[in-house]
Amino acid sequence: MDFNYTPEEVRFRQDLRQWLENALPQGWGETVFEPEDEDDRAMFRLDWERKLHSGGWSGINWPKEYGGRGATLIERAIFAEEMARVRAPEGLNIIGHNLAGTTILRHGSEAQKKRFLPKIISSEEVWCQGFSEPNAGSDLASVRTRAERRGDKFIVNGQKIWTSYAQYSQWCFALVRTDPDAPKHRGLSFLLIDMSSPGISIRPLRQISGESEFNETFFDDVEVPVENIVGDINDGWRIAMTTLAYERGPEDALGRQIRFKQELDKLVETAETSSRGGGALIDDPIVRQKLARSITEVEIMRLNAVRTFSKYLNGEERGPDASVIKLYWSHAAQNMYESAMDILGPTAPIAAPDPLSAAGGRFQLSYLQSKAFTIYSGSSEIQRNIIGERMLGLPR
Amino acid sequence: MNFGFNEEQKSLGETVAQQLADFPALTAPDPVAGHDLEAWTALAGLGLFSLIIPEEHGGVGLPLVDIALAIEALGAGLAPPIVASTLIAADVIARHGSDALKAQFLSRIAAGELRIAIATLEAGQGYDTDHVQTVFGGGGVTGTKILVADARQADAFLVLVRCDGRPALALIQRAARGVSLRPHADIDPSSGLCELVLDAAAVAGDALISHKQPDEAVSRLLDVAATVYAGMEIGIAARMLETAVDYARTRVQFGQPIGAFQAIKHRCADMAVAVEAGRSAAYYAFWAVSEDAPDRSRASSMAKAYCGEVARDACNEAIQIHGGMGFTWELGLHRFLRRAKVLEHGFGNHAWHYERVIAATLAGGRPASDVQRDAA
Repeated sequence: MDFNYTPEEVRFRQDLRQWLENALPQGWGETVFEPEDEDDRAMFRLDWERKLHSGGWSGINWPKEYGGRGATLIERAIFAEEMARVRAPEGLNIIGHNLAGTTILRHGSEAQKKRFLPKIISSEEVWCQGFSEPNAGSDLASVRTRAERRGDKFIVNGQKIWTSYAQYSQWCFALVRTDPDAPKHRGLSFLLIDMSSPGISIRPLRQISGESEFNETFFDDVEVPVENIVGDINDGWRIAMTTLAYERGPEDALGRQIRFKQELDKLVETAETSSRGGGALIDDPIVRQKLARSITEVEIMRLNAVRTFSKYLNGEERGPDASVIKLYWSHAAQNMYESAMDILGPTAPIAAPDPLSAAGGRFQLSYLQSKAFTIYSGSSEIQRNIIGERMLGLPR
Repeated sequence: MNFGFNEEQKSLGETVAQQLADFPALTAPDPVAGHDLEAWTALAGLGLFSLIIPEEHGGVGLPLVDIALAIEALGAGLAPPIVASTLIAADVIARHGSDALKAQFLSRIAAGELRIAIATLEAGQGYDTDHVQTVFGGGGVTGTKILVADARQADAFLVLVRCDGRPALALIQRAARGVSLRPHADIDPSSGLCELVLDAAAVAGDALISHKQPDEAVSRLLDVAATVYAGMEIGIAARMLETAVDYARTRVQFGQPIGAFQAIKHRCADMAVAVEAGRSAAYYAFWAVSEDAPDRSRASSMAKAYCGEVARDACNEAIQIHGGMGFTWELGLHRFLRRAKVLEHGFGNHAWHYERVIAATLAGGRPASDVQRDAA
């Protein structure tokens, strides 16, 4: 075990840091922030992603032949740390990078890799995920969206739900039913669908945070060329499991940890600069205990991810450890936002843009958003089933 | 960077676990105070005590992180506390002791011939070291320490004292004049907790661990002890998880193993997540302490605070999952519950360590990775 960095890793960090100095807007994170408007913010994030790509900082640990940087997972972790340090914006094409790309890299044909990966890395093409349906949530294998083979096309009919960023996406990967007579896990296929195809319509869903990041997506006789199937027909469940392992895995967790750490730093700063009843808020022992616990848990999120990276580097296979990682960060982050509201005390309900809201009202919004953490990409109950059955060997 | 253990480190952990399993009395339902110096002898036979002793004093000179998994095994196997306290004391003496003190003690520790108990707490004081009342002066050491684990098995005591108005550490021989012990009645008799009464206890001229920088020696003791205790706590937690899962797989109610019920399965899953999170914290602390990293104190406090809670919860859950049997004396889960409670309150409980975490954070104590990258 060694947390010291090799000369190559140090060099990687230096290069990245140097690049970042010029890449971020002047006053970023101090006086300059992301746009308030949801659509403006999405475009701002897309611009940032494209800027990262132009500097060669996209697809960090993907092979060079598809436009990646060919770096190690440890360098990927360094990348995350540096992004956290400068409080870099998030990206928009998260699903493209973390899910579509990783799945195509693992299971796609050579033609698919060449066609899709470079444009994911460059964020020319943004992706969304078509897995859940109104009647297929935790029971994902019961999806009903049909894809019927007709000549060299699949004809897709059905409805997907919770399709985040569908309104900004050029592509969607979807789990669809290709054999309604087979047992439910064995009649599914994994399709790549062009979002500009005729017959696709999108209806935004309003979330408890008031935002509309996700949507209902409807498919009405949508034609998909047969070459856009990943893997074999009716082998989609196995491929979807890969997607889910990445969705829950350490790369994803590390990206999120960046944001949680930034917000936690802001919370500490808020406690330091706020007064209550004539004293500094930070001197309240209960506040200190809550902060320390979240500081510890957010640090453990990072350590969990890095420890899992090391396991992969040392030759271990990806497995239910992704569920361990996801279950941990989702609950720890929810606890953090719950603590933030506790710490704010009487002003906790005051949100943006009220001038009395703490830290620009960010904690109220994040608190509401955090309710999704333990539901999406497999609810906590599903993660516990996976851990219980596949890691601990408990009976089904 | 690599956050994984190598084959030697893993194999040492397994060997220590197997060795302890040869002494079933260690985890049997009836706790015995100060039993099993045979276990000590067996571990000494493995060379455990020589591993972290510098080579010039007859040791192997390994960093503490190399024995992290062995320490986890000490926790899981309910090893006599004197094993851990001797390892902790050895680290502090090797780092901060005078040459004379090192020459006198380290080779004997390496050979497994010297057992050291640690005495920091006093009645009426918290975990803070600043208010220590036991005085080290010209006439010897005077004061009363409490909760000294395995004191009756010790050949010497590493004692937190006040010297020239500052907290410091002194080594006092068990056989010295003015040293007496009174066993506590306590929740975990196998910890052998005692009151240590020092009545002008005689000390050698070089008994003070670090004359020049006593505060650094005290700080090192707290950090190493917190880390080692966190390691043992996670060992107990992992064993409780394993025990609970084994039971859930085999115990049948309503016609099926209870582990098939989500009410049980999900509890086990949550325990598993907590154990892995605790391991991340503990293993990082072992590394930070070994490297004397800038965030050593913060990392060890995070580990001690967090792993203490994990161990406590794991013991509680294991008993609950075992139902009525869990509450019986004969099943013996109480042994782990009792030991975990002693460890949780040794060298600072979670509230005390969380306070250290926030204080270090506000003072700018950052993870070593931050410091390294800023130096980059």
